[in-house]
Amino acid sequence: MAGAARLALTLPAVGFLVCMFGSSRLNADDPDNCLLCHGYRGLSRFDETRDRVHVYFVDPSYSSAHRGPHARLACTACHERSEVASIPHEPVSPVNCTRTCHLSDPGGLERRFSHDNILPMLAQSAHSAEAISKLSFTDGPLLAENQSLCLYCHDEPLFRDPQLTIPNFKDISSRVFDRCDVCHSDKVDVDINYYVRHIASRFQPARTPLEMAQACAVCHSDRQVLRDTEMKDAVASFLRSFHGKAALLGDFSTADCLSCHVRSGSNAHLMLPPKDTASSVHPANVADSCRSTICHPGADKQIADTAVHLDLPTAHGTIEFFLAATFIFLTITTFGPSAVLVLLDLFQVIVGRKAHGEERAHRLAHKIMSDPAGRERLKRFSVSQRVQHWVLSLLFVMLVITGFPLKFADRTWAGPLVALFGGLEYARLIHHWCGIALVAGFFAHMATAFMGLRRRVRALQTSGEGGWQKAWVEMPMWISPTDVKKTFQLFAYLLFLRKERPSFGRFSPAEKFEYLGVFWGTALLGITGILLWGEQISSHFLSGRAFNLATIAHTYEAFLAVIHVGILHIYNVIFSPKVFPLSTATLNGNTPLPKLAEEHGDMIEEVAREMGVTEERESLYE
Amino acid sequence: MSSPKLESLVRQTWRAVCLFARFLREAIPRAYAVAMVALISWLTWMAVSYLVSSLATEAGPPAQVMGLPTRLDRSVQAASRTQFAAMDSAEFPRSPLAHYHRLDSWIQPDRFNDCTRSGCHNPMPHAKRKEVRAFLNMHATSIHCGVCHFDSAQTPRPLTWYDLETGHATTSPAILQAFELLTSEKTLKQRAEPTKADQDQLVALLRRAARAANDLPALNRLADHFAAVHPSSEAFQRMLDEAAGAVPRHFRGEYGVKLALRDDSSGAPQLGHPKTESAIAAYLAAKDKAGEAELERLLKAVHPLRRETALNCTDCHRHEGSLIDFAQIGYPEARIDLLVNPIIFRMIEHIGAGRPFRLPEVVGPGPLPPPVPTTRPPG
Repeated sequence: MAGAARLALTLPAVGFLVCMFGSSRLNADDPDNCLLCHGYRGLSRFDETRDRVHVYFVDPSYSSAHRGPHARLACTACHERSEVASIPHEPVSPVNCTRTCHLSDPGGLERRFSHDNILPMLAQSAHSAEAISKLSFTDGPLLAENQSLCLYCHDEPLFRDPQLTIPNFKDISSRVFDRCDVCHSDKVDVDINYYVRHIASRFQPARTPLEMAQACAVCHSDRQVLRDTEMKDAVASFLRSFHGKAALLGDFSTADCLSCHVRSGSNAHLMLPPKDTASSVHPANVADSCRSTICHPGADKQIADTAVHLDLPTAHGTIEFFLAATFIFLTITTFGPSAVLVLLDLFQVIVGRKAHGEERAHRLAHKIMSDPAGRERLKRFSVSQRVQHWVLSLLFVMLVITGFPLKFADRTWAGPLVALFGGLEYARLIHHWCGIALVAGFFAHMATAFMGLRRRVRALQTSGEGGWQKAWVEMPMWISPTDVKKTFQLFAYLLFLRKERPSFGRFSPAEKFEYLGVFWGTALLGITGILLWGEQISSHFLSGRAFNLATIAHTYEAFLAVIHVGILHIYNVIFSPKVFPLSTATLNGNTPLPKLAEEHGDMIEEVAREMGVTEERESLYE
Repeated sequence: MSSPKLESLVRQTWRAVCLFARFLREAIPRAYAVAMVALISWLTWMAVSYLVSSLATEAGPPAQVMGLPTRLDRSVQAASRTQFAAMDSAEFPRSPLAHYHRLDSWIQPDRFNDCTRSGCHNPMPHAKRKEVRAFLNMHATSIHCGVCHFDSAQTPRPLTWYDLETGHATTSPAILQAFELLTSEKTLKQRAEPTKADQDQLVALLRRAARAANDLPALNRLADHFAAVHPSSEAFQRMLDEAAGAVPRHFRGEYGVKLALRDDSSGAPQLGHPKTESAIAAYLAAKDKAGEAELERLLKAVHPLRRETALNCTDCHRHEGSLIDFAQIGYPEARIDLLVNPIIFRMIEHIGAGRPFRLPEVVGPGPLPPPVPTTRPPG
């Protein structure tokens, strides 16, 4: 009787479901018709006692759009048919990933398939079931009881976009399918679309380096796991390396965890602990892992000394830590006083204090400038210098906006900024060539300075006043003992310890300091940048540790340059009340009068003396 | 006013203006300097603190790696779609570990449902009966609680759709309108020659439907195809047939609109019990300490419109005497036929009575029918 009732209910239901999903095509997407209910995103419930949301939704597009290698599987290929054949379903057992399923190949032929070949590999690896099942996590278990341990690393696999491997896939796919149709539409049935997606996807890793880092971070960045296993946070340190930062910026081609930790040609599941002599990261093998044909093929084995997992805060006692500490100390001690100087200067504006000699210098300068020859004499920068400045500015900005996203790859602005250049690959290309241009400009400036020096030597020799030594010492950009003395006097004045504000010549000590900073910075950034760019060549004559040091020097020096220019120089030439909205010295070489009078009084006096201009009593302010 | 007085007034005003101008001349540079001091100090502080922390502070991986949800707990329900996706930078953001199937987005939260936004009820409120709780929650994405739980003397119930973006009454879901165009008596197929306006209307509806369903690619593709051909072409006619079969596959409760009881006087959707703000506050304040009788009194005050017993599934999913006039709220005939099909009615009744419903033998034992090979992208 019950059987008859069941039949009576079942037959119409069959009719209904067949009507509802009558197309054979749809049946192919979901042969069990589970998506009739499970295709609703809202099919879910909240278990308050366990604080758990049960989501029963399965994205129908996974199977209908062939989004992954499991798209052609029926739900009952993984879930027990007997458990899901009634509504409500029986308690569902955890899925066993090694069970045998009926896989339908692209030709429509059924094959028996299982992932059970993975088990023996895992048993030998660092990730054996025994090791994994012992793990405990900071916020409690991540999997339900008896759930497959595969879920620690794997979720529903997806095909990567074929466009990544075949850039014009979208444009050509229609024609390709047309050609395939000639034979494969009826004579040799093959699901070309699925086939192409599967193959194209396999031309690249199944996951991006960032997704790989996410998967590994589940255990390798969990505080409890790290405590229990006495491991270091390998994902955090990886993400601070060049490769990790590239991964954060969405670069698909950079090295990920598997690139180093899986031996070339070996299965990813056979990842061995570093102590194992067969491991790709065993000290005896790691150099070859770095020098694989797709990574650094031309490098010397020394490249393996580079610390991919360098974590500065925990690297006490190493030369890397010492160098970083030195740079931080130098940054604070050079940038700090300059910043204090600017802040004290602004404080004078707030309290309305004016320097005593400023008015006189102002009158003199005004008078000198009324004569075209005098105006020319008070010009502080020549055309060549202004052009050099603007070229330097442009290169500096380009270098910063293409380099800093890599330094701060984890910030939200970094990715979009890199995307503006068409991705990290192009941003790096621009960075490298701007760097080359900067170094070329550096040498050009050196040549100009040398020519000026030679002219000065000749003049001195002609007048019998001296030679190379005197000319060298008198080069205008050296910071002299007088400059040091006047700098202290300036501090004393700004701190109200002195009445007279010291005045300077054509270049103030702060300007000389900035100039020498650019000089030193360009040399350091240029050398370290070239070393890092040509790492395969550099590794033949430098240890891998040198790359760590070069990276530290390059990034910390660049940071110093950016804060100095970005905060102080920009203030001095744009936002200072004496020059706002822009110092005209950068355009026509003439420093705005208020700034000229306040800072370059000695230069004004000197020009006035040479031109025989004397001060008049009447004040220009009246 | 006499001339000396006027002159004095002008002089005083002028003096005040001059004084004010002088004040501004002195104050503006000072205020500017104060602002610059603040800005430079802040930038300096940020730079120095970054430098120090880069060497002194041990930090784990950044949010792009660690910010993913590890569990499907109650916080998920309040998350918006993008928050749940957690990360834009990865090609495929990962679902919480224990959940194998991809969950790259979440149901559209209903910001206008008083029952949930008051903090009293969960967005997935049905949790008691195993047989139907998930099915009922499935309806919560497209039906307001009041449809089943509020009292209404009228049969069929007065209903209206409301927009999940604005909370205001609106037309039926775009996908239903598109399906109507494809299947009803006035179907495009039966028109002598569909016009450009017909084509534009269908494309716009499909795009709106796709947007409402989390930018569903399949519907967007369908819209692209319809937009690409001439409305009077044979290809357009073929696509109409295809679309009539394909569109129902996307009736999945994500419409960007929800159904609610309609207030007869204003025509607005009834999204909560009227004038119960203070009663809700009183209930929430007392719920943990009040006695049973007191709680019952408070709950009654909070729910003036509540039906004693909620509607059953079969009160609406029935051919005769359904409490919902599906045609009136914009359902096309073809869809109504499925929703009130007697088979559905009996199936629901069977499950509702607590008897396990055996799925038909389509999913029965034996080898599965092999997928039909195709050389064309699906959808």
